Amino acid sequence: MSTSQAVFAGWMEIPNSAVNQDARSQTEQTAAEEATLVALVSQYAGTLYRVAFSVLRNPADAEDAVQEAFLRVLRHRDTLDEVRDRRVWLIRIVWNIVLDRKRRAKTRPETDDVTELARVLPHSGLSAEEIASAAQHHAHVLACVDQLPAKERQVLMLSAFEELSSVEIATVLDISESSVRSRLFRARNLMAGLLKHERQ
Amino acid sequence: MKPSEENTMINLAARRADRDTGRETGEDTLRLIAQLPAPEGIEDRVRAELRAAPRRARVLSWPAALRSDSPWMRSAAAAAIVFVVAGGGWGVYSRVQQPQLARVIVMPPRVAAPGSFSSAAAIRTPNTLNGPVVANPVTVKPVTETTPAQVVQKPVKRVQPGTAAAQPVAAAAK
Repeated sequence: MSTSQAVFAGWMEIPNSAVNQDARSQTEQTAAEEATLVALVSQYAGTLYRVAFSVLRNPADAEDAVQEAFLRVLRHRDTLDEVRDRRVWLIRIVWNIVLDRKRRAKTRPETDDVTELARVLPHSGLSAEEIASAAQHHAHVLACVDQLPAKERQVLMLSAFEELSSVEIATVLDISESSVRSRLFRARNLMAGLLKHERQ
Repeated sequence: MKPSEENTMINLAARRADRDTGRETGEDTLRLIAQLPAPEGIEDRVRAELRAAPRRARVLSWPAALRSDSPWMRSAAAAAIVFVVAGGGWGVYSRVQQPQLARVIVMPPRVAAPGSFSSAAAIRTPNTLNGPVVANPVTVKPVTETTPAQVVQKPVKRVQPGTAAAQPVAAAAK
């Protein structure tokens, strides 16, 4: 009878040294995973927050989304070693979370974007009137962005992040790079048309 | 060229093109939002949240040989699956019997009760072998022979003696 069969049969005890070794290696592995996770939080929390805020436009919701993204990473930390580009992988996770939240929040009343934007956006050296005017302009632009078809809107929003290349945007959206470029082209044309139409 | 540099170049080119054509695409607003700094202490809050998150529940620490990713356990699991499938199939096969097709109905031999008369090898013949008995049989009337008197004589067309149709009849009469 082999060792494993004996263990199954229940008459042979597992040696303590083997158990201790297992426990020790497991503890070491857990500690390494936690260290990796902490490093990921320090490195990418800011980036993920900005991605989340660009869609949700609410600081509290954006922070919640970032926390949820890292909780998902915690649940799947066993597979962290298999991830090739962790930054893009994390952006993809938070992107899916914010899109899901945005979809669910459609039934809720829209927040006052103008007031929120006036509060959040940088306005150094501007008068109160100019701040209000700028916030109104930005809110108008964002309203036009919301009118775009989903595919074009998503590409346009992600292209605003200068640290994301078109290849990375393609990875986040799970499409080809040529699709990213064509959608971006369409989005820009549509936005130009919408803004021109609104101005007239 | 780094990805960020490449994207910056793309955006700069797009911005320049927009400025040249005098059209606005609103990307400045999106870029402004994308560059907003994250709030202070977000990393600490996320870390605290992760620390408070429930760990993986591990009541038992299994030895390495019994972990699901060991090859021994995999082959054992595969053997168990094969055993269960084969055993189940055999169980079903052994319980389900093929229905026998009855070709001949065997009548039980008639045994005379003790002390009574024997049947003298008389075989009871079922009535069905004699065919059904019709209560009111339909009687078919026989076809009767037609008498010469009943032959209907066809009316003879009267023909004028001088016409062409009367000639052959006249010749035959001769």
